[in-house]
Amino acid sequence: MSHTKVARFAEDLAGGKIMSTICKKCGKKYYPPQADCPACMSSDMEWKELKGDGTLVTFTKIYVAPDHFAVRQPLMPFSSVAFEPSPIGLLEVEGGLRVMGWIPKGDFKKIHVGMKMRASPQALPDGRITIVLEPT
Amino acid sequence: MDKVAIIGIGHGKFGVRSDASLRELTFEAVKACLDDAGVGLKEVESMVTGIAGDEFAIALQPSAQVHDYIGFHPKPNFRVEGACATGSMALRTGWMNVASGLADLVLVVGVEKMTEIPTSLATDIMGRGGDATWEYPFGTTFPGYYAMIANAHMAEFGTTEEQLAMVAVKNHYYGSLNPFAHMQKPIALDKALTSFTVAHPLKLFDCSLITDGAAAVLLASEEKAKALSKKPVWIAGLGLATDTMRIGDRKSLTSIASSREAAKIAYRMAGVGPSNINVATVHDCFTIAEIVAYEDLGFCEKGEGGKLIQEKETYVGGKIPVNVDGGLKSKGHPLGATGVSMAIEVTKQLRGEAGQRQVKNAETGLTHNVGGTGQVVAVHIFRRE
Repeated sequence: MSHTKVARFAEDLAGGKIMSTICKKCGKKYYPPQADCPACMSSDMEWKELKGDGTLVTFTKIYVAPDHFAVRQPLMPFSSVAFEPSPIGLLEVEGGLRVMGWIPKGDFKKIHVGMKMRASPQALPDGRITIVLEPT
Repeated sequence: MDKVAIIGIGHGKFGVRSDASLRELTFEAVKACLDDAGVGLKEVESMVTGIAGDEFAIALQPSAQVHDYIGFHPKPNFRVEGACATGSMALRTGWMNVASGLADLVLVVGVEKMTEIPTSLATDIMGRGGDATWEYPFGTTFPGYYAMIANAHMAEFGTTEEQLAMVAVKNHYYGSLNPFAHMQKPIALDKALTSFTVAHPLKLFDCSLITDGAAAVLLASEEKAKALSKKPVWIAGLGLATDTMRIGDRKSLTSIASSREAAKIAYRMAGVGPSNINVATVHDCFTIAEIVAYEDLGFCEKGEGGKLIQEKETYVGGKIPVNVDGGLKSKGHPLGATGVSMAIEVTKQLRGEAGQRQVKNAETGLTHNVGGTGQVVAVHIFRRE
């Protein structure tokens, strides 16, 4: 997330804000933020904080994880680890923009399309910043 | 514009092919294709190779490897990539080669070797087929994307997990009748329903396979086709359309807009509609994808895809037989080969050579091949006459 013209997104996220960009020329809104507007070919954009309140469009819980999140088999013979992943979801917020985030809390069975939730940044124990969705 | 026909087909055995390299798999398919056409490699003027991933091949220019191994130099080779739709894009590129008059006989090869790397790494690479910057950090995988499509479809239309499993049961049944399929065994509905969850609500048997395999077709101009072939199958319509990189930017998660657009273009070019299609191979990378494809291709109304499989209308003898070669689900999904394999099945059906899986008097067939979650979709229509 460093080799891009929208690198400040990560800094703002660490500061507690989910940011979008808006084209100054035609008004089109972008989340994730973009430095360029293909709708009118302008690159004159302004930053705006996104209100995180919205409606859940869809969700899933990925048990078979990709390599970068995969659980390694423990080396101890006859041992095993149970993997309980966090669900993820797609939240539609203001202006029809959609924010992806983890849904770390609550009962998975209660998650449903159409549920009201809020997206906000959250720091992980290792210092990385991510986005979580919580019921409102 | 010159007409273009398929005059040769060659399908290698799909599966975990730890017995053969990328090059050797290609050779199997190319040899079978040339034998089927009764044409020597010396007569072929140009070649198009569809390989989706350098990462799977562990090489920078894998198409040069396979081109070299079949001994095709110094003639041209052109590599095409479009994720899971790579094979269909190779076919389209081959068609462009012939229709433009650049060449009269063009070999189209699709090949992928996906099992040389660990499954978790393959899952990772496939996950990066989505948006690598904005979605991948949430651990998205290909099953994860289609799981989100499935949950949206279930919420909007009441599609059930049983209906998803019915797609798996059908495709495994037909895969058991296809000697080239990766998994040649029928499965019971309860087995599909009780398999472990890959990405909720998709279970193991809702997912297509990570497979090695190759497929090849020989394309000919009208003049060459008539001179060389007794059973040409004509490419009557081609549609290619695209959609956003991120699924978060899609207006609908219960339909793939690029499928609808590609189908519209292909139907218009061929001068037919969904009701004229006698047999189809559609992109069932996941069971939900086949249900969405029924709707996007116009085989049923929006939201009624679940009902269509429940009523067995996509079996041979039904309203529109779909994936009666086993589909990606049971035949396997070697990315670059899949689109070419789809064209081979439709060609067999139109020639009347599909054996136990034959759709009676099939005259018009369709292939539908989705790259990623619809970033690119190719729909092709084929005709016997």
